[in-house]
Amino acid sequence: MKKNLSLVILVLLLAAVPFLVQGSYIVSLLLLMLVYVILTTGLNLVTGFCGQFSFAQGAFFGIGAYTAGIMSRDLHTGFWVHLPAGMIITGLCGLLLGIPALRLKGHFLAIVTIAFQTIVYLGLVQWTSFTGGQNGLPVEPVGDVSLFGAHLFTIDGLRANYWLILTATVVLVVIAERLVKSRLGREWVAVRDDEVLASAIGLNATRAKLTAFVASAAFAGAAGVLMAHYMGNIAPDDYTIWISCTIVAMMIIGGKGSFYGPILGVALLTLLPEMLGDWARYRMLFFGVLLVLAIALMPEGIAGRVRKLRATKEAQA
Amino acid sequence: MSTAPILEARGIHRRFGGVVAVKDVSLSVGVGEIVGLIGPNGSGKSTMVNLITGELEANGGSFLFGGQDVTALPPYKRARLGMARSFQMIRLFGSLSVEDNLLLAHHIRMQSSTLDTILGRAQAVQEEDAVRAKARELLQWFEMEQFAKRPATDLSIGQQRMVELARGLISMPKLFLLDEPAAGLSPPNVDRLVGIIRRMRDEFGMSILLVEHDMRVVRELCDQVVVLDSGVMIAQGHPEAVVNDPVVVEAYIGSGWKRRAKA
Repeated sequence: MKKNLSLVILVLLLAAVPFLVQGSYIVSLLLLMLVYVILTTGLNLVTGFCGQFSFAQGAFFGIGAYTAGIMSRDLHTGFWVHLPAGMIITGLCGLLLGIPALRLKGHFLAIVTIAFQTIVYLGLVQWTSFTGGQNGLPVEPVGDVSLFGAHLFTIDGLRANYWLILTATVVLVVIAERLVKSRLGREWVAVRDDEVLASAIGLNATRAKLTAFVASAAFAGAAGVLMAHYMGNIAPDDYTIWISCTIVAMMIIGGKGSFYGPILGVALLTLLPEMLGDWARYRMLFFGVLLVLAIALMPEGIAGRVRKLRATKEAQA
Repeated sequence: MSTAPILEARGIHRRFGGVVAVKDVSLSVGVGEIVGLIGPNGSGKSTMVNLITGELEANGGSFLFGGQDVTALPPYKRARLGMARSFQMIRLFGSLSVEDNLLLAHHIRMQSSTLDTILGRAQAVQEEDAVRAKARELLQWFEMEQFAKRPATDLSIGQQRMVELARGLISMPKLFLLDEPAAGLSPPNVDRLVGIIRRMRDEFGMSILLVEHDMRVVRELCDQVVVLDSGVMIAQGHPEAVVNDPVVVEAYIGSGWKRRAKA
């Protein structure tokens, strides 16, 4: 209860930020952070909880964004259609990527996900008639929101998008937490810990892995649609393997398999480049060093380490 | 026997490359029966257990479980039909609590769907509470209720074995396959184990296939014993008769003992 209360206060504080600060810098930084929270929480479902490594979260992010771009170009639909459509389409692509995961483990699966990520990126660049190639695609703002014919508000510009993305993040994080605590989430952990044992007690490991891949991809899809409508223009270079690597680094440094750890990792790795100043262009170098240090010194991540320290303290007390 | 056996293995074959691990083995476990599966190291006992549960596929032969042909079914489907097992090397979900380990084994008997649990429907919450209560009750039965919230791998080997048994029991299987449950246990714990296995049969009517090296356990519990040597069944019958069978004695300690005994 105490934890829930502090989370509610945190969300209210985040919602109040646009009123409290001058200029757009902090709000746009927080918006980016929220999008990464969705992406990383999604990846944590399949990698942290189900134990299946994936370097393809950036590709799913792109598939979500391009679902919005292509649908608005060809079908003239809006955000409220794109959001579910983007989640469904990326979910299906996640299912596709989950199929090799049924036969491959560890490094071999990671390589397949890198290949998938690369194929998607090359598709976005090369298939110009469908994706617009390097020129990208325009995406309309979310625009007017009305309910039963009554106009409520207009979502355009930084502030409104920030509140929209904050709402979406809260909803998705709550869904993720419920998923993890559900029967399905427990089965993911079982498959991660010991697949042989999981099947010996009657759990369908195939179903567990595929659902984890689908859920994880659908999260990235939602992030993609949200970001596309905010930015107004999407281009392939926003969906490279570097995005995927950043998401993996955030998850691992924060603590994969713990629920709030990866969110901590997001905060850390989005703030770090801002503090580096002119060095920010070398941020992937810093992320890489941090990742190696994290894996070598505390593979359980920040959250896992905190939990461990707390457990030893309790054991001593 | 009047009723059909719960498990029937017919002419089971299994090769690993050029090595024949199990060769034309047929055995059956009757309802409410405790059948021992013994033999020297490397005789194919654990392979046989893995074949029965479906973790390994047989190269030949067929399995009937409760009268149904399960030869082509994957392990999780066989488990859902009512097969549970323990492992020679203890296997538990290490990052989960003892209680959650038991809970997972009961998933196959739960009615509410994942969506119900995500939405927090009353029926799903009630079912989950009921299963947790059941897990507690079972842990009490094993005198281990104080460990419910502890990570499973924090426990001693003997306690972990008991958790494995409780995990098998919670789904109320028709057949429980125990792969060397007494291995690594201290003598008092072995006595406890014998009592528990007997109660599993007497109170819950379970049929049990017991792989065991400890002959005392086998003699005390088994109605029938099957002996494997190099993947071949060399004897079958009442435990006392089997352990005195010269073929079995030879398989265990070789033929040299007779000559040495004469000299």
